[in-house]
Amino acid sequence: MLRLFKITGDSLTPEFKEGDFVLVSKVPFLFIPPSPGDIIAFRQPGYGLLIKRIQQITPDNSLNVIGNHTESIDSRVFGPIKREHILGKVIWHIRKA
Amino acid sequence: MIYQILNKLDQKMHIETVKAHCDIPCGIYDPIVAQISALTVVRMLDLMTEFEAKTPDRNKEYMNSMARYIVVKEEHAERAKAEIRVIWGDYLKAQHLEKYPNAHALVHKIMQLGSKVRQTTDREQATQLVEAINEFAQVFWETKGVATKRAKAPYAPALELVYPVL
Repeated sequence: MLRLFKITGDSLTPEFKEGDFVLVSKVPFLFIPPSPGDIIAFRQPGYGLLIKRIQQITPDNSLNVIGNHTESIDSRVFGPIKREHILGKVIWHIRKA
Repeated sequence: MIYQILNKLDQKMHIETVKAHCDIPCGIYDPIVAQISALTVVRMLDLMTEFEAKTPDRNKEYMNSMARYIVVKEEHAERAKAEIRVIWGDYLKAQHLEKYPNAHALVHKIMQLGSKVRQTTDREQATQLVEAINEFAQVFWETKGVATKRAKAPYAPALELVYPVL
């Protein structure tokens, strides 16, 4: 239900920085489906566990995810992600002091 | 406070990481290597022309020196092509290509000129390569919102290059 992760990488800076912690849960998606703007953690084959922002829902119900920078590895590189690969939405962000 | 607690927990239990990754090396793209490589091609052609004019004997010393110029010309023409391919393939994204629809044609032109300067000793083709890569550099820096200026390179053959204004 709840998973705690530590962030590595800079593609979501300045909001989410390397070393920040995030608490992720699927529970919010039981009430409101994933929508653009949500920050989600997901598993992407070949890339591992990633955290990105949902950019848009594609016509086939997949999700395009994006980082804050042009160099971000996201749907611009690996295409839309499948819903079954979503680990959850960020519900709590604990910033590095 | 909560962060410190989690950080200590992480040191003992190693909390799973989730990646907000960028490309590796993250964001380090710069067309200057391609620009200098293209300039080197022109320089090698100039040195070859000078050397040919001042060396009447076509002996093995001549052959050896000329071969060395040619090798450097070959290497730098290929390096220029490789550097542009990396920026084109790894850095330029769909939104850049929408804004600069000529980018594909420009990269193709650079590839063609890069091959031409390996096949020939035509200085005009080499200066066209420098200029095409300058044009690419202009587009590249514009995508980053960085202003550019044109200035003569401070070394022979002192052709104009596009530089970022940082």
